[in-house]
Amino acid sequence: MAFREKSAWVMALALLFGGAFYFYLVAQMSGAVGALAPPLVPTLVGYTVLMVVIAVVGHVLAAVTAPRDAAAPEDERDRQIVHRAGHLSSYVLAVGVVLALGGYLVTRDGDLLFYAVFGSLMLGSLVEYLTQIYLYRRGG
Amino acid sequence: MARPTPLRNRVRELRERHGTMTQAELGEAIGVTRQTVAAIEQSRYSPSLESAFRIARLFGVGVEEVFYWEEPS
Repeated sequence: MAFREKSAWVMALALLFGGAFYFYLVAQMSGAVGALAPPLVPTLVGYTVLMVVIAVVGHVLAAVTAPRDAAAPEDERDRQIVHRAGHLSSYVLAVGVVLALGGYLVTRDGDLLFYAVFGSLMLGSLVEYLTQIYLYRRGG
Repeated sequence: MARPTPLRNRVRELRERHGTMTQAELGEAIGVTRQTVAAIEQSRYSPSLESAFRIARLFGVGVEEVFYWEEPS
């Protein structure tokens, strides 16, 4: 498996675990207050730290198992895969943001808008890395 | 999950004919990764025109002797 495919797996897992952790905390806090909890900096910091730890540890492990691959520069196939995956994920992000804005017009709930946009960002990135994995598996 | 493209090639055959050139060595010579060479050989990835010419030049043959079109059956 190419280093860049391993990297995509690491980032997809980091986004999955990070997103699950973040929205679990939000659900817990919302349950405690009986309404949608407002976004808090400590929760975001926890999410960011978890993401960074998973990404760093994952990339170090991936690089240790294939040091030559890790040091190799991106080639034409890598660039094509990254470009195509990024293109698709931009649509996911755009649709998510449009839905979030539409939701805000209806609810006037800024907290919900924040979570919807943040979730769209996570989902867009997840789609980007999953698409990269799919394209690497397929060949390009 | 592999999806062979109609652009087939004789890269593996030429590589084996040229001594003991590995996929990694060929990749290094033309500026792509070993995985990309493997994907080209399996017709899962169609290389850029530039890489196709680099491969052909490396083996000292015309590009049409390396790559050919085969409609999927």
